[in-house]
Amino acid sequence: MLNFILRRIVQTLLVILILSYVCFGLMNLMPGDPVEMMISSNPKITAADVERLRSFYGLDQPMYKRYLSWAGDIVQGELGYSRTYRIPVTEMMGPALGHTFILSVASLVFSLIIAIPLGILCALKPNSKVDYVVNLFSFAGISVPSFWLGIVLIIIFAVNFQILPAGGYQTTGMAYETYWAEFLDKGKYLILPILSLSIQSIGRFSRFTRSSMLEAMRNDFIRTARAKGLTAQVVIWKHGFRNALIPLVTIVALSVSSIFSGALITESLFAYPGVGRLLYTSIMGNDFNVAMISFMISVTMVLLMNLAADLLYGVIDPRVSYK
Amino acid sequence: METIENNTQKAIPPQPAQRSLSKNQIAELEKVQSLTKIIYAQFKEHKAAVIGAYTIIFFVIVALSAPLLEKVLGVNSENQNVFHRYKAPFSTISAGIDTRETAVRNYIQENPEDAALVQTELLKEEFVASTRPEDALYDWSRYEKRKALAAVRYLDVNNKIKSDLRGIAKKFETFHVFGTDELGRDVLMRLIYGTRVSMGVGILVALSSALIGLLIGAIAGYYGGFIDSLLMRVTDALLSLPTIPVLIVVAAIDLQKLPFVNSIISTGGESILKLVFILCLFSWMPISRLVRGSILTLREREFILASKTLGASDFTIITRHMFPNVIAPLLVSVTLGVGESILFEAALSFLGLGIQPPTPSWGNMLFNAQELIYQAPFLAILPGLLILFVTISFNYVGDGLQDAIDPKTIRR
Repeated sequence: MLNFILRRIVQTLLVILILSYVCFGLMNLMPGDPVEMMISSNPKITAADVERLRSFYGLDQPMYKRYLSWAGDIVQGELGYSRTYRIPVTEMMGPALGHTFILSVASLVFSLIIAIPLGILCALKPNSKVDYVVNLFSFAGISVPSFWLGIVLIIIFAVNFQILPAGGYQTTGMAYETYWAEFLDKGKYLILPILSLSIQSIGRFSRFTRSSMLEAMRNDFIRTARAKGLTAQVVIWKHGFRNALIPLVTIVALSVSSIFSGALITESLFAYPGVGRLLYTSIMGNDFNVAMISFMISVTMVLLMNLAADLLYGVIDPRVSYK
Repeated sequence: METIENNTQKAIPPQPAQRSLSKNQIAELEKVQSLTKIIYAQFKEHKAAVIGAYTIIFFVIVALSAPLLEKVLGVNSENQNVFHRYKAPFSTISAGIDTRETAVRNYIQENPEDAALVQTELLKEEFVASTRPEDALYDWSRYEKRKALAAVRYLDVNNKIKSDLRGIAKKFETFHVFGTDELGRDVLMRLIYGTRVSMGVGILVALSSALIGLLIGAIAGYYGGFIDSLLMRVTDALLSLPTIPVLIVVAAIDLQKLPFVNSIISTGGESILKLVFILCLFSWMPISRLVRGSILTLREREFILASKTLGASDFTIITRHMFPNVIAPLLVSVTLGVGESILFEAALSFLGLGIQPPTPSWGNMLFNAQELIYQAPFLAILPGLLILFVTISFNYVGDGLQDAIDPKTIRR
């Protein structure tokens, strides 16, 4: 067990390390050159000055040397400055991470609240009309492009009815008197992003809940439980659902990755200031430093979630053996 | 003794009613059904999957016959008309002066004698008040379509010329079923051409990533040992990455900076090829895991041992004996992969990093539409609906195939 955990941690760290190097290399292939962008507003600059700037910023060094110095800075907590906003990257990352975290967790909780009852309902009455309708909706949920759903939601709720804001994360220039007021105001901005981000996981979770619940309800011990006269509630929840939960937990933990990755599109669409939007805007605006840090943070968070999912699996199901 | 006899007599089943089976029917029953036939029969039971299959066929036909549809509808997909942007659906638009004059100029160049006759006729009947006879046709072209057609009816010329003129007058007005977009282009035509791009990319990505996955999975599963663990670690690592952020970083790189790519990819359709390549890079992993799993179990089977004993090479064993057994689950995976690839293509194009305009794809049409949601919500809704229809169809077909191929799964 300990051996397995250690191996998984080492593996995760190795992937992060390799990925940071690959990412560093990819950033060099982005359109635009940092020095050229720096001098674009200065017509009096000479070729010699350009050379001097290049060597000053270490851009004439080979890539692995530049990578090592960058990685050294990162380890020491020096994340550098944003080219566009002229503020330290650390100052941008903190709030962005918080926003993304709130959005992802809220969307995960929301989709679980909707999907699990639906899935169980279908599993208890397979082939019924309810099952058919829910199945249709879960297929639609898996197939619908989340950004398009976001646009449609904006058209309906922000343009036609004008009851919810189309984007942002709080009313500008608000001074909150109570926590409750702050919660209400920010929550209003979260409704549409959460809806559009959750739809895919709702579809996936409800289908999965249905199939694993069907599997669980076919066990012999369910028949035994029924035979000894337990109420339907106890049979469903205590004997059926507890067993259906085992595969469900893994799927949920693994799908944090897809929610996190989908959050990028949702954040960009709703102008919600999270890590995903930061990554997108910094790549579009040639802000390499911010792009690299936010990319590494996104990837690291997802990899840590996967690690947690793997470890969690063993805790929930003791039958799993680690080799 | 008697009771026993009675019992045995009772136990004898009643004679079955004589059923009349013709020889053909008996032969039909005795024949072994082929696997494809069984799968097809099973697949037909899944209603949603059958509907999905028909939807896909419909879209494929539309995509293939795009140029034909363009001719039939008489609307050019690339014609811009900046004076009539964001028109509502079912609107009729009078063509710009340049379009009309080009049509007239072409006519005059092709049939100078007919044109001269028409010009004198137009002046004689006083439909136009041109100072120079050469301008008569051009002045006629300024009219509305209906008025221009009416003028043609009263001209004293033969029928061939009349039908020619009517052909020109038809171009004075275009009808747009789904309205026009931000540059005044016909939305329907762009959707049809977008179908080509989006479905083409989806199918191409699914097929080529199946090929990559098949290769890597087969090598890993067949040879095992170090190669297997190396390939599977790479697969796991790629599989665990968050897809969209990785795709965005890779899609944003400038291929011009890579010297060797520059020589391979010529201009035109570059963004499409790049997108297919990038999507392939990150979608072969599930297939390679699937193939590896099947090959691992196949490796222990007797028929593989038999062909090894007969001296078959590794290549022959893998391609001739193992691949046919992997095809069925692979098919399901590829079908589901098409839907997913279409979604990813749309997502990347929506972010402005995929297919670059003016090439239309459903994703970049959405990207263009989102800027003017308030004025033209219709533009944003249509491409998304098509993405939804096609993806849901592929997902249903994949589900139906899964049920048909593997009856052990829980059936609805």
